[in-house]
Amino acid sequence: MGYVAIKGGKAAIEGAAAATDMLRAGSEHAEPLVLDAIEGQLRLLVSRVVSEGGLYHPKLAALAIKQFQGDTLEAAFALRAYRSTKPRLLETPPQNTAHMRVIRRISSAFKDIPGGQMLGPTYDYALRLLDLGLVDENPEDFRAIARRFLADAPETELPDSFPKVLDALRAEGLLPPLKPVAGAPFDITRQPLIFPVPRAAALATMARAETGSLLAIAYSNMRGYGDVHPTIAELRVGYVPVMLPHPVTGEPMEAGEVLMTECEVVAMFEGDAEGKGCGGKPVFTLGYGACFGHNEVKAISMAILDRALQKGMKDGAANPSEDPEFVLLHVDGVDSMGFASHYKMPHYVTFQSDMDRLRTTQAKAGIDTVRQKDTA
Amino acid sequence: MNLPPDFPPRNRWGALLAQLPAGQVRPPAATLELELEVVDITLPQSGLGLMQLHDSALNDGFYLGEIPIARAHVRVKSADGQEGEGGAVLLDDRARLARAIAVLDAVLAARLPGWEAASTLVEQGMAAHEQLAQTRRALLARTHVDFSLLGQEEDE
Repeated sequence: MGYVAIKGGKAAIEGAAAATDMLRAGSEHAEPLVLDAIEGQLRLLVSRVVSEGGLYHPKLAALAIKQFQGDTLEAAFALRAYRSTKPRLLETPPQNTAHMRVIRRISSAFKDIPGGQMLGPTYDYALRLLDLGLVDENPEDFRAIARRFLADAPETELPDSFPKVLDALRAEGLLPPLKPVAGAPFDITRQPLIFPVPRAAALATMARAETGSLLAIAYSNMRGYGDVHPTIAELRVGYVPVMLPHPVTGEPMEAGEVLMTECEVVAMFEGDAEGKGCGGKPVFTLGYGACFGHNEVKAISMAILDRALQKGMKDGAANPSEDPEFVLLHVDGVDSMGFASHYKMPHYVTFQSDMDRLRTTQAKAGIDTVRQKDTA
Repeated sequence: MNLPPDFPPRNRWGALLAQLPAGQVRPPAATLELELEVVDITLPQSGLGLMQLHDSALNDGFYLGEIPIARAHVRVKSADGQEGEGGAVLLDDRARLARAIAVLDAVLAARLPGWEAASTLVEQGMAAHEQLAQTRRALLARTHVDFSLLGQEEDE
């Protein structure tokens, strides 16, 4: 049974758009949101939208958040729609996250990591108590926050980037060797996911996945539907300089920088004392997560699922989080939101058909629906 | 005609100029265009780039997502016949800004008339970058975990 073309409702649809905008504006005394304020003060929301939209454009993400009144799914959808209108000019050479200008790096594997642990901006140690002082914040005090913070910063010589924790483990022979560089990675924006897919497709799909979806499936693994048991070797947040060839010299030049979150987890080791396993020597297994913006829960969830999917691809899926098809086809926010939302569209003909079939079935069963109603 | 020894290398000029507000970069470039002959080798463009990473766990390549790209490539010739090429690739979607930076890049690289203005802008971009770097260093310095204090403080 198909759909039917219908007419009418144009005025109502236009009215709905006006009604939505009216609620955005609120009363006559309200001030419009300024994009810079969204980008700065709602930075984690912007991070979520650039990540799930798959386009690193914080300014447009702020605009989408304003336009769709804080709906992250719609905002990510708008970024995806925007990107589909733009020509693709280039594919970057592989960028090196070791050059990340870090603003936060922690490890739950080691206390002393090369360069030290820096908590950076985090709520990890904050009490989840409402700060009523922000209800009516004094603009002068607000503007002084950054000045005071910088004035109180100790004078230290710190590098912009730091060595990776995994490098130390790898040097000890506790990790699998790095794979040789292969050809061009799988491009999920141009190629459909036809299973089995390479790990590159899984990483790209999860990098722009909806945070809650990734977290839910990763959480199933954490709670027992899986056995990754991760330890975070390193979680880092910072700005990766994007290096592209200079149009004249061809030498790599910095085109700008991208805020991203990266997580490497160490999981159960593979192999045994007899040398059965990874390359004849028991080594830890690894999971990797990365995404645009500052999204720690997403990066951790992705790293856990990466490890779970590697296991599923190798040994077969023992639970949903190890099944590439289950995970990768259900974590995209724009896909899943679109499917859920389409149920709001008219299904008049299909539902009419459902009713007809039910009435026919009831008639065949000898049920007199009218008499039944009268008796009731 | 020489730049100071600590002047940044050419591969950083674009990023440093992009640190400045566009309103600070475009007018000097426009002034140079009035005095010099500027020809587009490729038309200024804006669009997207696909950002590739190698995962640091196993070294598999993958695409993290897309980034805005603006780029320009120009040839600039002075009245006395000197000429040079300039280019810019920016994480930005303003092709006109990329072209302005490409003009400054050409003028500065070939020391064409007006290169001093371009070098001043690069220095201002460097100052802006340093301010940003200082803020980021403060984020690290104020949150550096000193584990040696654990157990040594009475209140811990």
